[in-house]
Amino acid sequence: MLVAARLCRSKSMAHLSQKLEKGAAKAAPAAAVYSVRRPRSAAAKKMFPYLLVGPAVLYLLAITLYPGLFAMYQSLFVVKFVNWSWAGLGNYTRIVQDREFWAALGNTAIIGGLSLSLQTIIAMTVAFFCYRDPFVRGWRIIFLMPMLFMPSAVAFIWKLAFNDGRVISDLLMSLGLASNNVDWLSSVWLARLTLIVADVWQWTPFLFIIFVGALQGQDEEIEEAARLDGASWSSIFWNISLPMMRPIIVVAVTLRGIDITTMFTNVYIMTQGTPGGATETMSYFIYRQGFRMFNFGYASAASVLMLLITIVVAQTIVKRAFKSGKS
Amino acid sequence: MASILLKNVVKSFGSFVGVQDMNLDVVDEEFLVLLGPSGCGKTTTMRMIAGLEHPTEGEIRIGGALMNDIDARDRDVAMVFQGYALYPNMSIYENIRFPLRMRQVPKAKHDDLIRRAAEMVELGPFLDRKPGALSGGQRQRAALARAIVRQPQVFLMDEPLSNLDAKLRASMRVQIKHMQRELKVTTVYVTHDQIEAMTLADRIVIMNKGVIQQIGTPDDIYSNPANTFVAGFIGSPPMNLIAGTAQNGTFSAAGVKVPCPASLSGNITLGIRPEDCQVGGDNLQGQVYGVEPTGDITYLTVRTANKNIEIKAGREFRAPIDSAIAVGFDTTRLYFFGEDGNRVGVK
Repeated sequence: MLVAARLCRSKSMAHLSQKLEKGAAKAAPAAAVYSVRRPRSAAAKKMFPYLLVGPAVLYLLAITLYPGLFAMYQSLFVVKFVNWSWAGLGNYTRIVQDREFWAALGNTAIIGGLSLSLQTIIAMTVAFFCYRDPFVRGWRIIFLMPMLFMPSAVAFIWKLAFNDGRVISDLLMSLGLASNNVDWLSSVWLARLTLIVADVWQWTPFLFIIFVGALQGQDEEIEEAARLDGASWSSIFWNISLPMMRPIIVVAVTLRGIDITTMFTNVYIMTQGTPGGATETMSYFIYRQGFRMFNFGYASAASVLMLLITIVVAQTIVKRAFKSGKS
Repeated sequence: MASILLKNVVKSFGSFVGVQDMNLDVVDEEFLVLLGPSGCGKTTTMRMIAGLEHPTEGEIRIGGALMNDIDARDRDVAMVFQGYALYPNMSIYENIRFPLRMRQVPKAKHDDLIRRAAEMVELGPFLDRKPGALSGGQRQRAALARAIVRQPQVFLMDEPLSNLDAKLRASMRVQIKHMQRELKVTTVYVTHDQIEAMTLADRIVIMNKGVIQQIGTPDDIYSNPANTFVAGFIGSPPMNLIAGTAQNGTFSAAGVKVPCPASLSGNITLGIRPEDCQVGGDNLQGQVYGVEPTGDITYLTVRTANKNIEIKAGREFRAPIDSAIAVGFDTTRLYFFGEDGNRVGVK
């Protein structure tokens, strides 16, 4: 990068001195002074933006594209550490017949879907009720707190609260909502619930901040016009705020959705997929295949499939949302 | 269709008083314009009538009913905003329909009402467009259509023309006036543009710093300004105000001498409109400061010892800068103001 910059510098310097000589020959010192301010040749100018973004692009390629391509390549082999044997699409044909894969996919959809819906509803409701509040306007950043904690710390907190420390059970019992200690990992839905609660607690603020921002950016005159037209707060929300926020909601929910499909930390720390694989998400399935059972090729194939599914789903949702928003 | 009454209305924002002890009676079917410089409290007054702001003290009545605790949505008031405030996600048709839907007007009537309103503002062909696909003037007309569609008791218009270019503004002005006469709806119109105020209003309310300066018909306000603020605000160019002294029936200031009522004495401000001055005469001596021909009229600025005086001279008047000039006043149209700024010496 530096070398390249120096190169184009010296090139333009040569260019410049030529110009200077010409300028002197024409006896126009003012013009010569002017040409000092234009050091870059056309080619250097064209290259300049690429040179600026180059390092970041290289870095990103190195940590995302290379491993991605490597996984795709590896997914075509049966890998036992250093022994790679060509499998073609063998891993893929095995995966589509693997009931655990489909279960993991289903779990991801159930846990992720419920969690995402809850987060969106809670964030939207809270945002709509408090976005005009001066405290929220001034201090909205403090609502980000849960997001700033380390995911593993959050997972341990909730593991303590639900399982090891029995905090939630105690609370429920003292409120009279449970008669004895609840074993959260004993039932499919209770175990899933613990994961959903942890995720909602940590990530609702993300959506909340975006929604509050969108609502605050809304033209106040439009809201006032709607009030004078006879609209109640709820009809303002359904008829005006919500449709106007649609693109922002779609983008925010898609981002959060993509993130949720890779849910791993909470599963790893809180449930480890129990009971009976009911909380095993795709990420955990891939981890288990790769790092517990050392089926690297198989895990890679699952990753590739997951990537494809995520891209297709996200693309369909975004495309559809923006299309119907336009008409 | 209703009268509006404001009784001792005060609006303060913290320690800042936006509107002070305001009393105003808007007659049924009247077109009332609130006029004043920005920050004078005219928009706050309108927003209180709309129910978007609540008065700190006093009463607001529409059609005789007390409105203080009635929500904006229940006041049967329609407002046109400066920025149009159309709903960008809805077509113009849906925009105009929105108040009908919100007020549970039977669905069968919607189409008819919408088309009639759209026709009134000549927006028929654009009904299925979104606001984003319309020009400024069309958007403003859509906002008007949305206001008239449900035939409210009161129209409120908050500088509705200030985002339009001069030509469009003139044609929209006529359209608004015509529409108001046709619909016979009590209208309160806020503007800082005196031409809009003069052309539209049945009565004008001039405000400054939260206080009403004068209420009157446009003619009245123009020919009988109550104080120096009104005198200096209305007219283009505005009235010349010359500070001086009165003694024994003569008003004098540097370079100025005119007769005045014998009852006046002490520090007095003389007011004279540019069109009531003519070149040649013995009321004012000064130098030519500037000559601005505009085609139908020439604006002449005369410099006296402590003030520049604006004069509307004949269309062919020309004079070199700094040449001496004498000006005569139409002495039947002189205005005198006391030290507190209020008009004095009126027979």
